[in-house]
Amino acid sequence: LRPFGQTTLNFAPSPALEAAPARVRVRFLAIALFALLSLLAGRAIQLAFTGDPLARTQGAQTVPAISRADITDRNGVLLATTVRAYALTATPSRVWNADETAGALLRMFPDLNRADTVRRLRDRERDVVYLRRGLTPAQREAVLTLGLGGIGFETEDRRVYPQGTMAAHAIGFTDVDLNPLAGAERGLDAQIRAAGAVGRALALSLDVRVQYALETELESAARAAGASGASAILLDARSGETLALVSWPSFDPNNAGAAPASGRRDRVAGDLHELGSTIKPFTIAMALDEQVTNSAETFDVSRPFALGRDVIEDHERIEGLASLREILARSSNIGAARLALRLGAGRQRSFLQRLGLLSPTSLEIGRNQAPLAPQAQGRRDVAGIGYGYGLATTQAALAGAYTVFANEGALVRPTLLRRAPEDAAGRTPVFSPQTTRQVLSYLRYAVTNGTGRAADVRGLQVAGKTGTAEKLGEGAAYDESRNFSSFAGVFPASDPRYVIVVSLDDVHAGQVGGAVAAPVVARVLTRAAPMLGLRAEPRAER
Amino acid sequence: MRISRRTLHILAAVLIVVLAVGLYKAKSDASHAQAHVRDLHGQIEDTEADMRALKAEIAHLENPARVEALAERELGMRAGSAGAALPESAIDRNLPAPRAPALQPSAPH
Repeated sequence: LRPFGQTTLNFAPSPALEAAPARVRVRFLAIALFALLSLLAGRAIQLAFTGDPLARTQGAQTVPAISRADITDRNGVLLATTVRAYALTATPSRVWNADETAGALLRMFPDLNRADTVRRLRDRERDVVYLRRGLTPAQREAVLTLGLGGIGFETEDRRVYPQGTMAAHAIGFTDVDLNPLAGAERGLDAQIRAAGAVGRALALSLDVRVQYALETELESAARAAGASGASAILLDARSGETLALVSWPSFDPNNAGAAPASGRRDRVAGDLHELGSTIKPFTIAMALDEQVTNSAETFDVSRPFALGRDVIEDHERIEGLASLREILARSSNIGAARLALRLGAGRQRSFLQRLGLLSPTSLEIGRNQAPLAPQAQGRRDVAGIGYGYGLATTQAALAGAYTVFANEGALVRPTLLRRAPEDAAGRTPVFSPQTTRQVLSYLRYAVTNGTGRAADVRGLQVAGKTGTAEKLGEGAAYDESRNFSSFAGVFPASDPRYVIVVSLDDVHAGQVGGAVAAPVVARVLTRAAPMLGLRAEPRAER
Repeated sequence: MRISRRTLHILAAVLIVVLAVGLYKAKSDASHAQAHVRDLHGQIEDTEADMRALKAEIAHLENPARVEALAERELGMRAGSAGAALPESAIDRNLPAPRAPALQPSAPH
């Protein structure tokens, strides 16, 4: 039975052989566990020292982004902001009675169209219909108290302009979907969106205090003169910053759709007018700069100046010989025409180009009207441009051109953005400093002894020029009974820093720039001088 | 003292369970924290919206035209100007005459 002797079969492995694989597994497990724990410990130590980068990112977003940034004036006064509003919606399938629901809503919003509202409430093909946009929280609460079935709300943003009509043309407005339509809202759209994305406000160069003074005085003068419109702009000529920009009549940008077109019309950068005599200082500066005359020369302007079939006359006859200073102070068309003819069309156009009068201005206001500046065809055209006819441009462009008198002959382009003190404005040389100083002294004389006397303010040394351009009437003929009257100037003449242009449109015969626009300048500057860091002298003791 | 292999296995198993529970707890806490952060962000947005509305209301109330109209109606004040100021030498003559000092009431006894 045991042919091969001891043949006990032992299938159980020896203890050493049995333990070896298990030990290996345990070691692997231990090493893996150790590595895992080491990894966790390392990460814990890293987080302890460096913090959680994810948490840091979330923490940095403390200011929520908004689609359009707030707009402020240069001193931080709020001009435009985005607030939470509600869209009134309806789910037609849940509206019990469209007529009753529409009736209830109409009692709250009388401007809703009843038939249209009922039609929308019955429109079962749509899941949701919009009935009205831009509801305030109070209006939402009021609708909720009605308990109307199927009526709901959607949260949306709404642009509001807390200053109402003030600076309306400069700020502009958006539509209900916050798309920019006019003013800085349109001209600075990209900057407003970029600032909104980081939760910051965008500061304009406007100063609400100066703006208010200019608006009230301009409106008062325009109403008194029976003008159909008026405009004014005040610049810091060194930086090009626009401190105030007014178009009258104004409108409320919170309800721009309801405003008449004449109210929404921007008359500073959107309206074109022949400039009249406010262009004469440039004609004289061109002639001096090109050395076709000098300050010692005198002109006989006592007789009308015949130019082909046309005759150029002065409004007020000047007896005897007139110097350049007298030509400017007494606004001689004959003198300016003669100087322009000495210059010639080529040099005249070159200067006008460099003065920015032949191109749209750079104001970030959405729409800058391009000037009407046809090439001068003959001596009559050149002479006409010399005293203010034949070139139609905006009051913003004129104000920009006057910056040459505050910058030693260099042009600084106007802007609506506040500049940092270290941010130097670009300067385009036009006239030599000597020419500029010479003409500046003539402009001061025009205010102390000439047609601009009503603009003088003791202590502010206003230097400027009046302008009165007859408007085109029927049949492309000039209408003597309708004037565009203006004043353009710089101050203080001893160290010019500011430019002001005031214009009244469609005033009657006799309401010349010196009578209707110059007094506005005096009244505005008297009020605004302290805001500009200037001091008007007290009135003379009685 | 020698720790048996079985004890080691038990300890390792316990450690793994503890780690798993800890991980669950940490994830759960993180989830709650995230929900709380979302709530806080919502509150911040609401507060920001309220602040913007209040700032707009303040700006409207501080509008120069409104303040001037109120000052004129309630206080009889009108906007002045530097040009309307009196010279220093004229101030004395334009001030009202000084009044005799009122008798001081005697102190209560």
